[in-house]
Amino acid sequence: MITRNEVRQKISGLLEVDSASVKDDAGLFELASSSFRIVELVIELQEAFDVRFHQADMNEIDSVGDLIDLTVTRHNGRSGC
Amino acid sequence: MIDGNLHWLLSYYRASEISGALFFGELSRTLPPSAIQQDMTRHFADEASHARYWTDCLAELGVAPLKLGVAYQDRYLDAAGIPANLMEILAITQVFEKRVVSQYALHGKSPDTPEMVRKTLARILDDEERHIRWIREALKDLEGAYGGETISAALKRYTLADRDVYRRTTQEHRERIGALRLAAR
Repeated sequence: MITRNEVRQKISGLLEVDSASVKDDAGLFELASSSFRIVELVIELQEAFDVRFHQADMNEIDSVGDLIDLTVTRHNGRSGC
Repeated sequence: MIDGNLHWLLSYYRASEISGALFFGELSRTLPPSAIQQDMTRHFADEASHARYWTDCLAELGVAPLKLGVAYQDRYLDAAGIPANLMEILAITQVFEKRVVSQYALHGKSPDTPEMVRKTLARILDDEERHIRWIREALKDLEGAYGGETISAALKRYTLADRDVYRRTTQEHRERIGALRLAAR
């Protein structure tokens, strides 16, 4: 099981920003310095937490909170099976 | 001095080539050793060269490139969602490259296009067609990992998103791109 805070810390590290700025309502484009950083973040989160996202998931992602929720749900949902 | 619309459009092409070079350059740096890594490295270097060609072309026409904030592909993530893996990055790139070929070919048909612009378009089109080929082959190689149907679905989804981005871009810059479309008919 992973927590939302663990994912938040990971995002903070990957984007090299202070964890206090990784707020749920922050937009990914506000936080990341470029389109590439967002794509890299999504791919590295999947590797770090051993989860797989699909395009349909990505269409629902608007904010940092959405991305954290997706990661936690996908990881913990799988762990619980 | 060149026409203001052409000045803007060539600057827009340059900004998009720079965005492509930066994106694929970063991606090339993170990819593991593979054929895709090598092709991607050539691809980003080509995009950087294209940015130079447009810069040189504008200089030849007596103007400096305009500073533009947003490139065409910056709108893709909003319209199509964030690609979740390498296959989806290649699929969205394939669709984008086809759009570039189509736009550059359309521009080349416009009767008032200066010779210098025409030459630059032709020079870049050779590379862009090669880009489409390598990505198509790479996507074919990825069929084992992702499945042919998944890849086809991704290409279809990004094609629809591209049409939406192109429609919105041409509406927003109607006086710059729209005039070109009419002239090329």
